[in-house]
Amino acid sequence: MSLRRIGLAAGASMLVLGASGPGAAEGTGGWVHVRVEEPGRQSSVAVNLPVAVVEAALRAAPDTVVSGGRVKLGHHGRDLSVADLRRMWNELKSSGDAEFATVEEEGQKVRIARAGDLVLIHVQKPLDRDAVRVEVPVDVVDALLSGDGEELNVRGAFALLQKRRGDIVRVNDAQSTVRIWIDEGK
Amino acid sequence: MLKIVLAGAVAMPVAAAATIAATGVVVVDVQEPRGGHHLVIPVPLAVAQAAAALVPPQKTQFHLGSQAARYLRVAREALDALAEAGDAELVRVEEPGQEVSIRKEGDLLLIQVRERGQKVDVRVPISLARSVLGSGDRITGSQAVWALQRARLTRIVDVQGPDGERVQVTVY
Repeated sequence: MSLRRIGLAAGASMLVLGASGPGAAEGTGGWVHVRVEEPGRQSSVAVNLPVAVVEAALRAAPDTVVSGGRVKLGHHGRDLSVADLRRMWNELKSSGDAEFATVEEEGQKVRIARAGDLVLIHVQKPLDRDAVRVEVPVDVVDALLSGDGEELNVRGAFALLQKRRGDIVRVNDAQSTVRIWIDEGK
Repeated sequence: MLKIVLAGAVAMPVAAAATIAATGVVVVDVQEPRGGHHLVIPVPLAVAQAAAALVPPQKTQFHLGSQAARYLRVAREALDALAEAGDAELVRVEEPGQEVSIRKEGDLLLIQVRERGQKVDVRVPISLARSVLGSGDRITGSQAVWALQRARLTRIVDVQGPDGERVQVTVY
């Protein structure tokens, strides 16, 4: 089991749930589950943590990454500023179900779309060998972009994400599978 | 007069044994491989606590920087949250020849490692860990000694090597 995979699992689980407010955790009482499997190496990692524990752990995130539950994207914003992203989102979210973006390049297809209350991000590689599937509720994206300036309101976004039950992230590639989901169980 | 002396001779060890039983004993049991030495070292907690109390506080304090102190607060909050949570297997890692499991059972965190003939079992009462972390921005050795009181009747460490050596630490 490579450290990268374990790090991915731990990091993803913390990102999925860790930045939420304490009230939300008490209210939902959910558990976050992470499974990373590498069949070729006969290795697996399973992590099951109460939301409240992950929340507490995420408070250890360095100030430079998370400040008051908000992530700063560089000093001046690179490539695409959060303000631009916020403006684009405000225009797109009112358009209902739609394909926001489809990019096909060297056999890889990236699709970002809205379907009902979800924003779907799908990445597919040739012959279905590799796939990334992320599903984020629209109100979570709303909350994420509710910060000011170049900040993302991660804490607000994940306070909402905690209420979701079911799969959040699925990654399948040639060597491994990663699944992150939230439920009420242990 | 003889009766008084006899009574005193009997009463003192009985009282000492009762005190030790009441305050607790840490027993370190070391079994060397292939029929080697077998050492059993009982350490009354009261003695350890008295010794810890005699050591100047500045000698047993671990001063933490502001960043580390923040992690300490985080660790306390995580432990508090864990104490409130239900029992579950929190982590399981499996690889060829190696298994790691961390489970919560009541107040205990059970850490189990199996690797090529080696077995490590650690049982940490959450209340003990919480007590070691204290409430300030520093950890002291004496806090750790006093915290052992919360691990009574627990085998906190059991390590078995591939060729038969074994170390057990039990708090009675």
